[in-house]
Amino acid sequence: MDCYTANWNPLGDSAFYRKYELYSMDWDLKEELRDCLVAAAPYGGPIALLRNPWRKEKAASVRPVLEIYSASGLPLASLLWKSGTVVSLGWSAEEELLCVQEDGGVLVYGLHGDFRRHFSMGNEVLQNRILDARIFHTEFGSGVAILTGAHRFILSANVSDLKLRRMPEVPGLQGAPTCWTALCQDRVAHILLAVGPDLYLLDQSACSAVTPFGLAPGVSSFLQMAVSFTYRHLALFTDTGYIWMGTASLKEKLCEFNCNIRAPPKQMVWCSRPRSKERAVVVAWERRLMVVGDAPESIQFVLDEDSYLVPELDGVRIFSRSTHEFLHEVPVASEEIFKIASMAPGALLLEAQKEYEKESQKADEYLREIQELGQLTQAVQQCIEAAGHEHRPDMQKSLLRAASFGKCFLDRFPPDSFVRMCQDLRVLNAIRDYHIGIPLTYSQYKQLTIQVLLDRLVLRRLYPLAIQICEYLRLPEVQGVSRILAHWACYKVQQKDVSDEDVARAINQKLGDTPGVSYSDIAARAYGCGRTELAIKLLEYEPRSGEQVPLLLKMKRSKLALSKAIESGDTDLVFTVLLHLKNELNRGDFFMTLRNQPMALSLYRQFCKHQELETLKDLYNQDDNHQELGSFHIRASYAAEERIEGRVAALQTAADAFYKAKNEFAAKATEDQMRLLRLQRRLEDELGGRFLDLSLHDTVTTLILGGHNKRAEQLARDFRIPDKRLWWLKLTALADLEDWEELEKFSKSKKSPIGYLPFVEICMKQHNKYEAKKYASRVGPEQKVKALLLVGDVAQAADVAIEHRNEAELSLVLSHCTGATDGATADKIQRARAQAQKK
Amino acid sequence: MAAHLSYGRVNLNVLREAVRRELREFLDKCAGSKAIVWDEYLTGPFGLIAQYSLLKEHEVEKMFTLKGSRLPAADVKNIIFFVRPRLELMDIIAENVLSEDKRGPARDFHILFVPRRSLLCEQRLKDLGVLGSFIHREEYSLDLIPFDGDLLSMESEGAFKECYLESDQTSLYHAAKGLMTLQALYGTIPQIFGKGECARQVANMMIRMKREFTGSQNSIFPVFDNLLLLDRNVDLLTPLATQLTYEGLIDEIYGIQNTSEDFFDKLTVEQEFMSGIDTDKVNSYIEDCIAQKHPLIKVLRLVCLQSVCNSGLKQKVLDYYKKEILQTYGYEHILTLYNLEKAGLLKPQTGGRNNYPTIRKTLRLWMDDVNEQNPTDISYVYSGYAPLSVRLAQLLSRPGWRSIEEVLRILPGPHFEERQPLPTGLQKKRQPGENRVTLIFFLGGVTFAEIAALRFLSQLEDGGTEYVIATTKLMNGASWIESLMEKPF
Repeated sequence: MDCYTANWNPLGDSAFYRKYELYSMDWDLKEELRDCLVAAAPYGGPIALLRNPWRKEKAASVRPVLEIYSASGLPLASLLWKSGTVVSLGWSAEEELLCVQEDGGVLVYGLHGDFRRHFSMGNEVLQNRILDARIFHTEFGSGVAILTGAHRFILSANVSDLKLRRMPEVPGLQGAPTCWTALCQDRVAHILLAVGPDLYLLDQSACSAVTPFGLAPGVSSFLQMAVSFTYRHLALFTDTGYIWMGTASLKEKLCEFNCNIRAPPKQMVWCSRPRSKERAVVVAWERRLMVVGDAPESIQFVLDEDSYLVPELDGVRIFSRSTHEFLHEVPVASEEIFKIASMAPGALLLEAQKEYEKESQKADEYLREIQELGQLTQAVQQCIEAAGHEHRPDMQKSLLRAASFGKCFLDRFPPDSFVRMCQDLRVLNAIRDYHIGIPLTYSQYKQLTIQVLLDRLVLRRLYPLAIQICEYLRLPEVQGVSRILAHWACYKVQQKDVSDEDVARAINQKLGDTPGVSYSDIAARAYGCGRTELAIKLLEYEPRSGEQVPLLLKMKRSKLALSKAIESGDTDLVFTVLLHLKNELNRGDFFMTLRNQPMALSLYRQFCKHQELETLKDLYNQDDNHQELGSFHIRASYAAEERIEGRVAALQTAADAFYKAKNEFAAKATEDQMRLLRLQRRLEDELGGRFLDLSLHDTVTTLILGGHNKRAEQLARDFRIPDKRLWWLKLTALADLEDWEELEKFSKSKKSPIGYLPFVEICMKQHNKYEAKKYASRVGPEQKVKALLLVGDVAQAADVAIEHRNEAELSLVLSHCTGATDGATADKIQRARAQAQKK
Repeated sequence: MAAHLSYGRVNLNVLREAVRRELREFLDKCAGSKAIVWDEYLTGPFGLIAQYSLLKEHEVEKMFTLKGSRLPAADVKNIIFFVRPRLELMDIIAENVLSEDKRGPARDFHILFVPRRSLLCEQRLKDLGVLGSFIHREEYSLDLIPFDGDLLSMESEGAFKECYLESDQTSLYHAAKGLMTLQALYGTIPQIFGKGECARQVANMMIRMKREFTGSQNSIFPVFDNLLLLDRNVDLLTPLATQLTYEGLIDEIYGIQNTSEDFFDKLTVEQEFMSGIDTDKVNSYIEDCIAQKHPLIKVLRLVCLQSVCNSGLKQKVLDYYKKEILQTYGYEHILTLYNLEKAGLLKPQTGGRNNYPTIRKTLRLWMDDVNEQNPTDISYVYSGYAPLSVRLAQLLSRPGWRSIEEVLRILPGPHFEERQPLPTGLQKKRQPGENRVTLIFFLGGVTFAEIAALRFLSQLEDGGTEYVIATTKLMNGASWIESLMEKPF
């Protein structure tokens, strides 16, 4: 195992850096890297190359080719560049290629070379052109910063929500800055630029000169600057071959280094990792690569070929025509285990396991040693962790074997970390395969998350692998398989050479009722590709009407949308479609559509009742619904009209409608109402007081109360108030007036159709026992007992009841016998009862 | 915890806690101090699930009633509107927001739609130019509110009117959604029975909604064995009669003045009608009530009762009542009378055939020997009349509706049965002697007397079925008739 650390290079006393090969590249590069614009996406992302014909003043007639490769060098796309002069290339966080043109236009491509969209960095740029551009990543997304020909900076912090920010001017800036970078601090993007010996920081509001803390004297120009992956650190390379490394705020210095090379480096990037022991900067010249940190000596590599550096979260990728390597600081666990003569528990466990395989008793000695120190758990953990950081599967295996061996001697070691590492490594090894070409490290993978990794596989159209991973990791369907199938379907709908029927069928066959698949999303994509018919077919598979309807409306299939909305029973959805239809169709067509959809029609009527009364009328008219029209005009007679003439006219319309509806009763009643209204009007004019809108009953009552008996009689006759009701009415009114004389006269006018008990009741209600008694005597035999009880004549009531020999009446009287006064009466009843029983 | 909700066979506290949780989660989304602006209609239902203390714990400092023009001043960070999705309310909200914008320090506005978000309303807010002012626009699916250990209500006042007069099935959609929520908490209900047009629609919506949720398999062991959906218009009779249980009486008499004698006369008439005596001619008690201008609702209730007990009135009788009512109470009531006709409560007899006696006899709706002290039959709740709706439920559980096919055909709307298959692991193996649990949903309202009758059935030792009752609204005859009345001025 001694040779294992052969590629470890110490930097200072505490850290080792190592470089290993990821892939040997067999891409067939037609151009030298140095002649190309190059962009490589982080997290093992794709590489884009655009031979830069505009730099060399070659014949511009030859159109350049834009090529996209996987990190392992497999070609993904190749297209002839027909657009304008490109200044800079860069990848967004979604792995979209942004091509920033000199004229400020930015063309966006997918990693298969498919054109996605286009946006502009503003009109200002059209005249001034763009000198330089950077694509940078923030927590919100991907940003673009440009330097214009007028030496102004413009940036957008998030290209998916394009808001251009024009940065403040740098006072007295004549030429282009020697170097610059976009920084991201406190969620805001800034620009740091160097002009000769001066550094300026541009934020939204101001340009401020800044000085790095502890910068060595004698600098006359900054040639290169590098900001770390997380924007926390900054490195500056000066014309004296001096490198300053510190925080991005420039307020703290980490270290400095003098490399004695004055030639401007081709690239300079940070190489560190989370919890780095020794942060370093990698500087590349034509044939030399140097790793410098807080150490007197740097690590140096010779570059055989043109190389390109890609900063990563935990290291730097370096690729060239023939190879793709990874340079990083050796992780702690690996260092502990593999450092020469290490006595760390993990190292001992690895040894013990090897001896065990050799069937040597040394295995036991090593194991005892670890156990005596009580470090077996730690040893297992170290081996698991170190396995994660190994690129080679054989090394991963040997470390995992050691961990598994050690676990056997532990009682309660929770298995999850071991199991999870096995799973993670299996996924990592699968995607690192050069056919896939995503060389993620364990730390990058964890940072990226499995969800994003799956998205990236989907972007590469590696659907089967993505599904295998989901199934292997047993991800819930909604997050895993269904999502991938949905993406597959979205890709499928773009295959224009396949017929709508076939695509729809293929998609349904594969997706079926898979939970979490949104057919409407797929349909929306199909619609986006101009395949409306396909979209409609796909929507048929969508079970959620709430999702179907908006898209159908967007596609102008409103009538279909209407029937879908009705099917769902969701009235809000129906309303939404209706209002849409109302704007879209002319009135006639709209009404016709409603006519065929009774449910929609009744909802729309409700809407009109509250919002558009006139339309409601038209709807009833259309349907010849005369009954409802009648009701409508009745309502209108109250709502709109103040004048009596207007009200009567509205009622007349109502009555006509009722006749048409063959509702004679309602028609007649309405005519009666008109008659009454006119009459009330006249009464108001002639007698004063308020009559309008009183009921007929109350009108007559009011007349009686006002002493207009004649008129009351007349009215009752005119409207044929039945005798019985008229008697009740008069009786009530006269009692209210306490006109006892008139009441008596009335009672004698003819034989009462309602009997005389009501007279008794009403007098008692007015607490006039004297008058009540008068009528009690006239009450017929059936109600006599009731009447007598009402006026409080219990004794006589008892006599009558006894005479009637009526048990119910007897009990009723008995229940009224209270106190001593009625004692005799009660006895009398009891006696009568007893006698009755005897018979 | 609300202890009264957990004593029953089904712990309705689970539902209450679920809706409370949802409310808390929403409130916490709007960080900082808050004022709630209430759609007044919602304060009642909300009071049953969240007291002020809960709101206060989540930094609700002020509460206002939704009104036009400006909001009262409040020094809070968030203003949240709790509203039903109604266009007229959106107009008021817009007015509030616009006048608040002029007032100064920016507030965060939010809307909580109860029980459902509405595209229509959001479009209106957009048209009024205020949609963008709202940070959170969410829905709060408060469909069924637990009232008691066995009682849920949507408290939707207008449900009956909307369904039967206006063919607006919004409340049915909410009912179906509410049932989906219940199933999410208490498991899929394996059997659905129903009678009536609305019942059919709700069942259809439920089946459809279930398809929409194919993703999330319900793995909860079902608490309910079956669901019975009943249209109110299958039994228009029961709510018209005066309820004679304790709770029912309180409900009936509260706020109504009646002399005891008159009350007795009224009961006598009701009982005569229900037992089929003299339902085909003008009733002199009703005549007298009109002549004395007794409350219109009382009169309408009696006339409707007579109409229902006679499968409609003879045209002459009907016209006479109508004329008497119009002359006495005013012609404007022609609209109300028409509404009652549309709802089938008051109608001319068609085909000259009175079906009520057949229904009464087959379903044994009238019981002459009622023991009110130790009841043996549900008819005690109306002193002789057994509520038709409850009888249907009772017969469904034993011996099954097949025995009353003929009557079911006479009653309006289709009757049906649907099965919702369960995965084998969730199928119930009933213990001997274990009662079934039936969720009975009254679409269009339920009375306390019906609830009492169902509770009586639940308590029967050999009943075999326990009931949980759900409804669009707890009601009585008076509130029901009132909801159908139209006052044009």
